[in-house]
Amino acid sequence: MTLDIVRVDRVRAYPPRVTAFTQRFWDSVAQGRLETTVCEDCGKLSFPPKTFCPHCWSTRTRWTGLSGHGRLYAQTMIHAAPAIFRDEAPYRVGIVDLQEGLRIATRLLSDEAPKLDTPVEIVTLLYTDGPLFAARPNG
Amino acid sequence: MTEAVAILGTAALPVGKWQTAPGVVPAVLEHEVLAKLVMEAMADAGVDKSDIGSMIFSLARPYTQQKYFATFMANYLRLPCAGSVAEIMGNGMTAALAFQGAVDEIRLGKAKVALALGVNFETATSSADHMMSSMRTTGDVDFHVPFGFTPISWYAMDAARYIHEFNSSREELATVAVKNRAHAVLNPIAQYRKPITLEQVLAQAPIVEPLGLYEVPGRADGAVCIVLASEDVARATGRPYARLRGQSFFHEGAHQINEVPNDMIALIAAQTAGRAAFAQAGITPADIDVAELYAPCTIVEVLASEAFGLVPRGQGARQCAEGQTSLGGRIPICTSGGLQSRGHPAYVTPFYSFVEIADQLRGRAGARQVEGARLGMTSAELGNYNAAMVHILEAVQ
Ligand SMILES: [Zn+2]
Repeated sequence: MTLDIVRVDRVRAYPPRVTAFTQRFWDSVAQGRLETTVCEDCGKLSFPPKTFCPHCWSTRTRWTGLSGHGRLYAQTMIHAAPAIFRDEAPYRVGIVDLQEGLRIATRLLSDEAPKLDTPVEIVTLLYTDGPLFAARPNG
Repeated sequence: MTEAVAILGTAALPVGKWQTAPGVVPAVLEHEVLAKLVMEAMADAGVDKSDIGSMIFSLARPYTQQKYFATFMANYLRLPCAGSVAEIMGNGMTAALAFQGAVDEIRLGKAKVALALGVNFETATSSADHMMSSMRTTGDVDFHVPFGFTPISWYAMDAARYIHEFNSSREELATVAVKNRAHAVLNPIAQYRKPITLEQVLAQAPIVEPLGLYEVPGRADGAVCIVLASEDVARATGRPYARLRGQSFFHEGAHQINEVPNDMIALIAAQTAGRAAFAQAGITPADIDVAELYAPCTIVEVLASEAFGLVPRGQGARQCAEGQTSLGGRIPICTSGGLQSRGHPAYVTPFYSFVEIADQLRGRAGARQVEGARLGMTSAELGNYNAAMVHILEAVQ
């Protein structure tokens, strides 16, 4: 699966720190792929990706692709924002349950408040200084 | 080892704006404020300075200039301690952990009398600047914060989910704010004491939808000193006290959201800690006469009251709207006015919950008194109630 890429003509307000390990995740997002790690021992996924399995503490994990499809579990519009996000406010965020059984929280691209439990898809947000991702209704 | 522990004395600063900006004369300083409360709480307890063996402080905000505040205070108070002098930090649970630390000093025989105390001064820093720090306290700095989440945005998403699942409404949730304000009107140490109507709550500017200004906590300064003692010391004073009857803590091993999809608004940690504390106390939720829950937003009070079994699942907002959780109702919740109206000086907030329950159980809550209150409970939390700490206290007259 590839994610749609949405270009955003500004820099990220608060960029994530990128480690030697998480660099692959962000590089993949920039190329329209959502990935995380899966445990080779118990088979469970984790998010964010990790060098170990948080479920069984095995250190045998590998990268795996995610569909980027899921359902909206919860959402809100943030009006009172930290100083660094002030010029973006109000903005919408949400919690998404991916169809692989992972729960993530991200920016939500939607003018109206989508009904909860409706299908959403993850998209890449390509800012001028690097990637983030977001969810948007696709139903 | 399992010595019974009692709250014997309390003193609390009225919640509000006390901190002065740098350079302002006269300055209002943390150590002077807290020392005065120590004197008041000790007079209330009726024990001697020399009885104190330990002082467990809540960590001060980074805006407090005096660092190593606990040992500084040991000097300021000229108080030698054979137990412990320490500062505790645990997010919104900070003061409950400090309280439990003082309890443990007594239980372990390190002290006969221990102080749980602290000061949270922060209002001289603007909210936008404060949020630059607080946004990094909830969720993951690299995988959540870049999207702009704020601490209360997680509660707002709880509200959205609750409304969706239980066919509730913002109006129904907002009745919690009206109820808590009505309680705060009767509380001399509450931050906001002007009565408000449901219409006024609904008319406020949105902060994190569906929650508006009166449905979320304001920012505040506060300070508290609580005197804890072994029960034999408490009994010897001949004064009424509140005996600790049950205590429990549970962390679900998740922070803000569970990466494995679960029922986010069931507050598993609160359910688990509540069950353990009730079992330890040998009671059921129905036996509780008054509950002071840690609930920054209206929705959190609803979810916590359901998780602790004080109201049926899915009916917390409705029962609040019906008056069942008001003073005079079936199970009065947050008689102090709660975090929205009594106020939320975050690192000392759970101390204020103990003060309220101790007042209720000692029959000193004035116009807020729950008639014949014998059993009271407090809660505190971390994250989105990913951890919960519960204390059950009993009146001994
Ligand atoms: Zn595993």
